Amino acid sequence: MKFIIQRDQLIASVQDVMKAISSRTAIPILTGMKIEAKQHGITLTGSDSDISIESYIPAEEDGIVHVENIEEGNIVLQAKYFPDIVRKLPEKTVEIEADSNLKVTIRSGKAEFNLNGQDAEEYPHLPKLQTESSFKIPTDLMKSLIKQTVFAVSTMETRPILTGVHLKLENNNLTFTATDSHRLASREIPVPDANIEFPSVVVPGKSLNELNKILDDTEELLEINVTNNQILFRTKHLYFLSRLLDGNYPETSRLIPEQSKTVIHANTKELLHTIDRASLLAKEERNNVVKLVTNDNQFLEITSNSPEVGRVAEEIAVQSIEGEELKISFSSKYMLDALKAIENDEVKIEFTGAMRPFIIRPADGESILQLILPVRTY
Amino acid sequence: MMKRVIFLVDMQSFYASVEKAENPKLKNKPVIVSGDPERRSGIILAACPLAKKSGVKTAEALWQAQTKCPEAIVVRPRMQRYIDISCQITTILEQYTDLVEVFSIDEQFLDLTGSLKLFGDPFTIAKKIQQEIIEETGVYARVGIAPNKTLAKIACDAFAKKNQNGIFKLDESNMKETMWELPIGKMFGVGSRMKDHLQRMGIQKIGQLATFSIDTLTKRWGINGQVLWQIANGIDYAPVTTKTHDKQKAVGHHMTLPRDYKTFDEIKVILLELSEEVARRARTGGYRGNTVSVGIRGADFNFPTGFHRQVKLTSPTNFDMDIFHAALHLFRIHWNRLPVRSAGVTLSELQPADPYQLSLFDFSLKKEHLNEAMDYIYTKYGPTAIVRASSLTSAGQAYSRAEKIGGHYK
Repeated sequence: MKFIIQRDQLIASVQDVMKAISSRTAIPILTGMKIEAKQHGITLTGSDSDISIESYIPAEEDGIVHVENIEEGNIVLQAKYFPDIVRKLPEKTVEIEADSNLKVTIRSGKAEFNLNGQDAEEYPHLPKLQTESSFKIPTDLMKSLIKQTVFAVSTMETRPILTGVHLKLENNNLTFTATDSHRLASREIPVPDANIEFPSVVVPGKSLNELNKILDDTEELLEINVTNNQILFRTKHLYFLSRLLDGNYPETSRLIPEQSKTVIHANTKELLHTIDRASLLAKEERNNVVKLVTNDNQFLEITSNSPEVGRVAEEIAVQSIEGEELKISFSSKYMLDALKAIENDEVKIEFTGAMRPFIIRPADGESILQLILPVRTY
Repeated sequence: MMKRVIFLVDMQSFYASVEKAENPKLKNKPVIVSGDPERRSGIILAACPLAKKSGVKTAEALWQAQTKCPEAIVVRPRMQRYIDISCQITTILEQYTDLVEVFSIDEQFLDLTGSLKLFGDPFTIAKKIQQEIIEETGVYARVGIAPNKTLAKIACDAFAKKNQNGIFKLDESNMKETMWELPIGKMFGVGSRMKDHLQRMGIQKIGQLATFSIDTLTKRWGINGQVLWQIANGIDYAPVTTKTHDKQKAVGHHMTLPRDYKTFDEIKVILLELSEEVARRARTGGYRGNTVSVGIRGADFNFPTGFHRQVKLTSPTNFDMDIFHAALHLFRIHWNRLPVRSAGVTLSELQPADPYQLSLFDFSLKKEHLNEAMDYIYTKYGPTAIVRASSLTSAGQAYSRAEKIGGHYK
């Protein structure tokens, strides 16, 4: 195997693929990165058996040559060293060559590295998806779907299914839902030309976090395939495969209150900043508790009190307060996460009493829903 | 820093002394306090000095003690009484200083640094305390006097207990000829394992540890090495605090069964009873816990089996069924199907019960109302006012445990 490649192209691909490579893995060869050279281009592969990522660098694209002098072949390189080497090479091009004894030479300018490779035949084959049906959504939309929901997954392994984001595609509507049982985040988007439906798959939160890091912020379409145990995200040069979580995701739709007793319209940023300030003193306490009290149909009073640290109070004017008066305590962290996920300038918050979940939505639409369970105080 | 005056006041053969003081018929007779041999709590909890003279040792089996001292009078323990007397003694000690740290049921630390001007020199105070305790409770107290807690403890255990007057003062001035000559195993903080390690390093006496290279000790045991070295040199900065028992870390209950339980269904019954007790106590203390652990010991002493495992919960709880389900889950996974002699359930990682982050998936409010109602009934009518039906089976221990404290009769 031999080829000469543009270093910047290689760095970008290596960084993407590294997201799937872990130094702790049950199969030792998975600590390595597989490089496959074909006349039409180079493919890099990394996997930790939960996530597998393939990044493709075409030999030539739009008349620009990325890879030259290709002699076909493949090799597995130690992922512990390869990325740093590539990043620090002196010239714009890199020559990589592997001989029949699995010795790899990396050259750039006057620098030359000799690495021991491993036989690519030993590298497990990535599972091939058994489905042709797929749907497409713009890449940047997928990124916001992830960002608006994935923060709410549970970080505790006590209920493994909650560490994932629940995906549902029905009636040309795609829904992402995540909850750690104390708060819930969900977003729904229309997918007009989907030719498949699935009632419930659960993608590990970690997979989506990594996917979000790799995807570019473009409007190019992302293709998604779903089988009963895997999900595949595909762009022109990227192939991102994740295992799905086993088990039944709890039915969340009936947990969302349909009526409300108090409705607040507020400026998202102002509310966010006020809560953020109040949370400064709330961090000492276990639940980051802040307290919200409605005042005179136009003000909210946000307070926080840590007996050992001190107290903070702030009054904030809001657009409107309708319905019953309210005193409620909740985690400032959950509230901040939720408000950050709202893209609109104005939020609508619907409460049903101090002991019931409350809902935060953008003032103009229903597509994003953030739900928070209050903290009970006496 | 000002030189402190710390006392360790220790009650001689506490349970036995209480029994003797309250029953004149026992005077001048060897007395043993022991649990019920048929219910296998038949070990020696305390033996009076007369019984000890015949070789009776604390914690040995009742039958062993009886072969050594057949004329001994065996008394059933009355745990509540001992707790009451211990509190009474604390009240006596609190007349001398507000800094009284209850170290165990029969040992208490006092910081008298600020009281010397009021009550006289340490020896005078120690004598006064001894006299007052024996007059009010009939129990003979021994006093270790030192500039810190560990020295006071050593002064009491190694010297005051063997003294004519039951008082011993240990400090830098007499440390070298007294404490340093003691075998290393007598030092506070050195157990049998540590003793072996130190002896292998050639350290036989406390004095040898005191003069040993501190670097070698810290290299081997880290901070603990330094602590041991400091203790050997009579250095200990720990204050006498009344707050030892303020911050609870875990709530646990454990029981030795009256007979070996062999079936899953039988053991399930006691795991539920233990979980209920743990939950109830957590609620009384105003706690919720995040971790449940289960300990099981096998029946066969010659082939000790058993396990101690723990599991983290989804959210902190103080409800019996949450604890029980976690405990049962652990038991199902780890039990080796051999008969069980004893079992314990512990709730740890405690946090205040309020404020409480509500959860989507469990309807805790309902459970909470139910538990509130039950707690109310328990407080008013006692712990057996309502029991689960399973406690009425032959495996149930709820009624028998209600009569006991720490596995012994009240």
